[in-house]
Amino acid sequence: MTSPISLQHNQTQPVLAMHRVSKLYGEGSGRVAALDEVSVTIPRGGFTAIMGPSGSGKSTFMNVAAGLDDATSGEVVLAGQPLSQLGDEGRTVLRREQVGFVFQAFNLVPTLSALENILLPFDLAGRQVSPDQRQWIDQLVHTLGLAERISHRPSELSGGQQQRVAIARALASQPAIIFADEPTGNLDSRSSREVLTLLRTASREYGQTIAMVSHDPVAASYADRILVIADGRIVGDHGPLTPQQISDLLIGFEVGAPA
Amino acid sequence: MSHKNLALGSLRELGTVGLVAGLCGTYAATLIMASSILGSLGGDGEGTVGLMLLTVASVFILIALYVGAVVIVNAVDTVISGRLRHIALLRLLGASARSLRRSVMVGTATVGAVGAAAGLVVGTLLTDAVRMVLVARETLPEADYPVGSALLIVAFVLITLSATAAGWLGSRVVLGVSPATALAGTTAYRRVPLRRSVWRGVLGVLFFVGGFAVLALGALVGESSPAGFLIAFFGAAGSATGLLIGARFVIPRVVSTFSRLLGRDPSSRIARRNAVLDPLRTTRSTMGLVIGVTLVTTFASGMRALSDSVTAWDLDPQSLVQATQVLSVATTVLICIIVISSVIAAVGFVSTMSLTVLQRHREIGLLRALGFTRSQVRTMITKESVALSASAVLFGIALGLVYGTLGAQSLVGAMTPGVVWGMPLPALVVIAFAGLVLVLVASRGPARRAVAVTPVEALRIEA
Repeated sequence: MTSPISLQHNQTQPVLAMHRVSKLYGEGSGRVAALDEVSVTIPRGGFTAIMGPSGSGKSTFMNVAAGLDDATSGEVVLAGQPLSQLGDEGRTVLRREQVGFVFQAFNLVPTLSALENILLPFDLAGRQVSPDQRQWIDQLVHTLGLAERISHRPSELSGGQQQRVAIARALASQPAIIFADEPTGNLDSRSSREVLTLLRTASREYGQTIAMVSHDPVAASYADRILVIADGRIVGDHGPLTPQQISDLLIGFEVGAPA
Repeated sequence: MSHKNLALGSLRELGTVGLVAGLCGTYAATLIMASSILGSLGGDGEGTVGLMLLTVASVFILIALYVGAVVIVNAVDTVISGRLRHIALLRLLGASARSLRRSVMVGTATVGAVGAAAGLVVGTLLTDAVRMVLVARETLPEADYPVGSALLIVAFVLITLSATAAGWLGSRVVLGVSPATALAGTTAYRRVPLRRSVWRGVLGVLFFVGGFAVLALGALVGESSPAGFLIAFFGAAGSATGLLIGARFVIPRVVSTFSRLLGRDPSSRIARRNAVLDPLRTTRSTMGLVIGVTLVTTFASGMRALSDSVTAWDLDPQSLVQATQVLSVATTVLICIIVISSVIAAVGFVSTMSLTVLQRHREIGLLRALGFTRSQVRTMITKESVALSASAVLFGIALGLVYGTLGAQSLVGAMTPGVVWGMPLPALVVIAFAGLVLVLVASRGPARRAVAVTPVEALRIEA
């Protein structure tokens, strides 16, 4: 399977670079840092898992990195563009063109069919689907086993199928990076394995950059880099690990954390 | 123990119900008082004039009440659809579906009764005040005018009963809520398939086709005798009944066809789909507009056809001027009286638009995350409003032109050569303008709120 990837910016630049990024909530003494001076880069082509216990700041990390939310301080450079210099419109267009999303639930627009959901990023950007891209999308639909359900509405699809449609949509436009937020959170273990294998394949075979937020050690074991976040800070940056190793790592943080 | 407010949250969610009941009350009181005042002028108290006026007034009041009831059914249904998870949680904690539904009905009845009472008082006071001014200016003679009417109580009971019944109909959804919905991680999307009731379809077609046949017959008979008008009246009533019965099959189709004109970009496509997502809701939120616009256009078109016909007659200039004047005054009065159903329908339309957009919070957040700009979200909502209201207005105008023209033909066809089409251009311009204002009012608030939705907050799991 080949992918007609046309890169929009310099290959050697990281897809995501965060420099001393903080995100603070609340005022005065009730002030909480969901992200505390986080600096990290994600190079092109990898599958990174962002792990951490509940409330560690991993979802905030994704929201800020993807331009869904503003950082309080620091700089996020996404696909070569410093987010702080973009307004709402600019960030929306950046998301539309450079970012793919897979959320835990409610991924699909209920009134659009599976295919229309997949093509939505193209429609939004007013881009024609080129023959190459059309072939790529057909391939994706086929590989994901969605061919027969392509004209169905999301409510007529199972949870696993909905998630696969979301992944097809994210992969279809070959964005600079795909953010996946607990993509297997609502799935049974079989669908969950399928989805994770898909993400890994997308990254290994098509060079798709993926950042996945998860608290599930099994999910994270599919990634080739594991970032651990605790209390808004990155406290670990590891290569591929087994579920058992990840589990031990996390338990270490939970137990070792100051009360 | 009172769990009056459990299912609906605060009674403020039923603001539309109160407003609609209030409008119906004000309207009913104004018509009742006006006809009893005019009736007492016509002779000894409740003479024939008063009785005739009251009969006409009751027809108008019943039409307004019908439109009001449709609006209330929709308001209750929409509020409840947005609270399905909350209701599921109550079911999970042990509330029975029946008791919840009863509590919705009691809530609607209470708000409806309060609104009706307030409206009736306002309407009575208004009419009394106008009467006093008119007597002081000696437009009306000094006389022993009634200050109230027993019919006001009848109106109160009728409005309250309609609100109660509408609350009962609108809360049917509650029965289908399973307690497990409360535990599901995803928002349960309720898609009630439209029940293809055969008898409803057959009855609707029979009334519609039969009614139009009778209406055409009336117009034909009108070529030789004014008795055609009576036939035409029954024909119009019959076909209108057919339309009301079959509205849920017809209106969503009209909306869906019209909204194809909106465009093919994603905002338009999603707007179009949302406009007909729930055919029953689409029908209810536009039916009142169709009724209101049809009535106004019918009168305007009929009167225009009449006055055009009169111009074609061999009248001396003086009687011509007189006849035209009488017709124009009659048109204005009738349209003022009939326009209320459009106002009630418009209130319902605005409230349904804002509630459904509010309920689509999550979807809007997703669209923003995926790359819908703020202006695309705003366009999407405005276009949905356009799709619904423009379809209703155009459909109503088309129906009204046919009814008005055929009605006039059946009345004076014998005296006029050929068929005179009633094209009330000024009225059509006013209707189009009112439609435009409605689109803006109905979409502005929801669009502003939708644009303020941030993806992060909307997509949080426990949204």
